[in-house]
Formats: sequence, structure tokens, C-alpha cells
Amino acid sequence: MSDTVVTAPEFPAESAPPRPRNRKRDQWIAFWLVPIFFNLFGVVFVPLSWMMPPRPPNNPTPAIVEFMQSHNLLIACAVLTVCFGLASVGNAVYLIQIKRMSVSPVFRYSVMMGAMTGTIVGMLFPMFCFGLGAFRSGYEPSTLSMLYDFGYLAFIGSLGCFCVMWMSFGLAIILDKNNVLPKWLGYYTVWQYVTELMAAPVWISKSGPFAWNGLMTFWFAMVLYVSWQIIVYVCIYRAIKNQPDDTLETAWLHAEVAPSDPRPKADA
Amino acid sequence: MTNVADPDIRDTGRIAHPRNHLPGESSMWFFVIGDLLIFGVYFIGYVYYRGLDPDLFLQSQARLNLDIGAINTVILLTSSLFVALGTSAARNGKVPEAIRLFGLAFAFGVAFPVMKAFEYIPEVTAGLTPGTNLFFMYYYVMTGLHLCHVTLGLVILGFVIRSLRITVKPRMSFVESAATYWHMVDLLWILLFALLYLMR
Repeated sequence: MSDTVVTAPEFPAESAPPRPRNRKRDQWIAFWLVPIFFNLFGVVFVPLSWMMPPRPPNNPTPAIVEFMQSHNLLIACAVLTVCFGLASVGNAVYLIQIKRMSVSPVFRYSVMMGAMTGTIVGMLFPMFCFGLGAFRSGYEPSTLSMLYDFGYLAFIGSLGCFCVMWMSFGLAIILDKNNVLPKWLGYYTVWQYVTELMAAPVWISKSGPFAWNGLMTFWFAMVLYVSWQIIVYVCIYRAIKNQPDDTLETAWLHAEVAPSDPRPKADA
Repeated sequence: MTNVADPDIRDTGRIAHPRNHLPGESSMWFFVIGDLLIFGVYFIGYVYYRGLDPDLFLQSQARLNLDIGAINTVILLTSSLFVALGTSAARNGKVPEAIRLFGLAFAFGVAFPVMKAFEYIPEVTAGLTPGTNLFFMYYYVMTGLHLCHVTLGLVILGFVIRSLRITVKPRMSFVESAATYWHMVDLLWILLFALLYLMR
């Protein structure tokens, strides 16, 4: 009798019903929202509005007006307005994994702030620019040209914000001693952000390989980015899968079920 | 290739690593090869666009400061030599010598951006900016990207010197990774120098 009284508080988990593998449900939901978000993004940008691949910077004004006031762009902007917030949920999967790394929290905050500023400038600004053209008729062609320039430059020329984000992510992976993500992914991330630096000349060039639809600034960067994005999610998938349950941030939720132990109750 | 099987214990009591391994960490080689591939693609892009307008590229190229370019090549090659000697010294357990050699490599490395500033500033003040034409855009983007690599390399060399100073036994994998990276920076510059300054 006395044995049971003593041992029960030491192994409180035994008294709780065994839970199935659902402790990472939050991470999995965030994780699977990412492909949904990217597919939606892809459909909106490519076959729906043909915003991507980017239209030429030196497009004649009538072509710009036609694009900016097209119904397809309107539908694209409407979809983006509704599903825009999914980006932040997607970024949560990075932040959760960085928190497990043996690195300074500065890296995590930098990733977070980089993602926020990058998303505001790189996604919200273009959405407003294209949205204004699509939803508000009556703007002068010169205003629409300005919005067109503003939208594309914000979308493609704002990669500096993402550079800081990915640099912090890459460095965190390289410096991490817990091997949460493979080291080579850290180096791959470093290439990825270096190629994003190549987007800076889009502010200067209006045609050729350094324009916003150019070979160097868009196509090379895009090939590397898309392959990197797919690989990074495969690695994140494996990291979530291999994460021990007791290292979950929500582990305390499951550990606190210690009904007969007075100390946790006092804390609670 | 001398110490194949046994760790080599020198009179300093330090243990050098077996020599039949890939120098540095394998992930650093992943980075180096990938980086070279990316620069390779940029070089192909440059050569393609150069072929479309060779006169413009040749005329613009003639306005670069070949002397500073050549001096910078010598600077980086010398720096790389000191890195190689420093790595060898560290491997043989001669830590004070390794620190001196890496210090020299660092000093030569610092001279590179300083010389680059002497090159860039007169060019920019003369109105030769990235907006001038496609050649100068390539010139500033590629040399600028390379300069970022040099800066990162200097930070890494600084960490190598720090690590040699504070630890009794040098972490050879780190020293070798840093040396590998620095040699890559060197190699990239030689290619850039040939493509941007010399190619006729």
C-alpha cells in the first residue's frame, strides 16, 4: 500500500491514458499549410494573373493598364488578401525548430523579424499596388505605371529583408550542436541568400539580365530558391518527425497530469 | 600523405590528425562546390552577354584599373600561401607559428578590400557606376559578391586565430574548413580577374 502511495507521484505519466502520436499536431498543421499556401500562391501568380514570371519593366503603358485592370488580377488579389496570413503560420515551423538549436535566441528573433519585414514589403506592398489597380478603376495610366513599378520592385527588389532572415537561419543551422537540421542545409541556405542579394540591381536595370525579369536576378535566383524551398521542407519534415516528445515546447502540458502530487498543484 | 594510420605525436605533445581524410568538414566542401557551381553559372551568363555585344564589353573593360586588379591578385595569392603554411604548421602542432602565419594571411586579406576601395572610388567618381552599361553592372555585381565572400573569409580567419589562441589543441577540421574556404575565394578571384580584366 505504502509503495503505491510513494511511487505514484514519481511516475505520474503512467496514470494518464497513453496518448497516440498527436503531440506534434500543431506543428503538422503548420507544416501542411505550407504546401497549401505555396500551391495557392503559385496558382494565383502564374496561371491566374500571369504576374509571374514578371512582366517586363519597360512594358508599354497600354499593356500595363490592361494588366493592372484585368479581372484575373482582381481575383488574384482577392485570393491573396484572404490567404495572406498563411505565410506567418508557415514560418512558425522554422521558428519552432530554431528554438531547439543550441544557438543564441538572436538568430530566432532575426528570422522572425526578417520574415515579418520581408512579408510586409515583399507581399503586402505588391498586393496593395496590384490590388489598387485591380479594384479601383479610374486611375490615370501614369499612376497605374507607377503602381506597376512599385508592385514589382517591392516584390522582387525587397529581398534584402529575406536575406537577413535566411542568413540567420543558415548560420543557426551551421552553428547548432544539436544537429536539428543537417549542416549542408545551412550552407545551402547561405547560397540561397547570397543569390537573393543579386536582386539589388533590379532598381537600376530596366532590361537585360539584371532587370526584374532578367536571367541573373530572377531566373537563376528562382531556380535555386524553388529547389531550396522544397529541400528545406523535406528537412523540416524529418526534423519534426525525429523530434523527441519530451523536447516539445508543449511537453509541460502533458507532464502536468500528476493528480496525486501536491507540488504541481501548488504551482498551478 | 605521411601519417596514414596513426595520429602523429610531435615533441609538443599535440596530436595531428591522420592525413588520409578530406581536409575540413565535408559540409564545407558541399558549400564550396555549390558556390563554385553558382559562380560558374554567373560566368557563363557573363560570357553569353559579352558575346552579344563584344565591342561594348571591350571598351568598358579598357577603363578598369588593371594594376590594382593585378596587385589584388598577388595579395590574395600571398594570403592563400600563408593560410596553407599556417594550416600545415597547425597540423604539426606548431601553434605559435600557425598564429603568426594566419595573422599574416589576415593582414594580406584586409589589404584586398582596402585596394578594392582605391579601385572603386575613382571609378564611381568618374561616373562609372552599375547603371553605366551591362559590363559595369556585371563588374560591380560580381566583384561585389566576391567582396562579400572576402569579408566573410576574414571573419572566419579571425575565428581561426582566436581558436588557435585559446585552445591548447587546435581544432584541425575547423582550421582546414577555413583554409578551404579561403582558397575558394582566391580561386574565384583568379577567374574573375581573368574574365573581367584580361579577357580580350
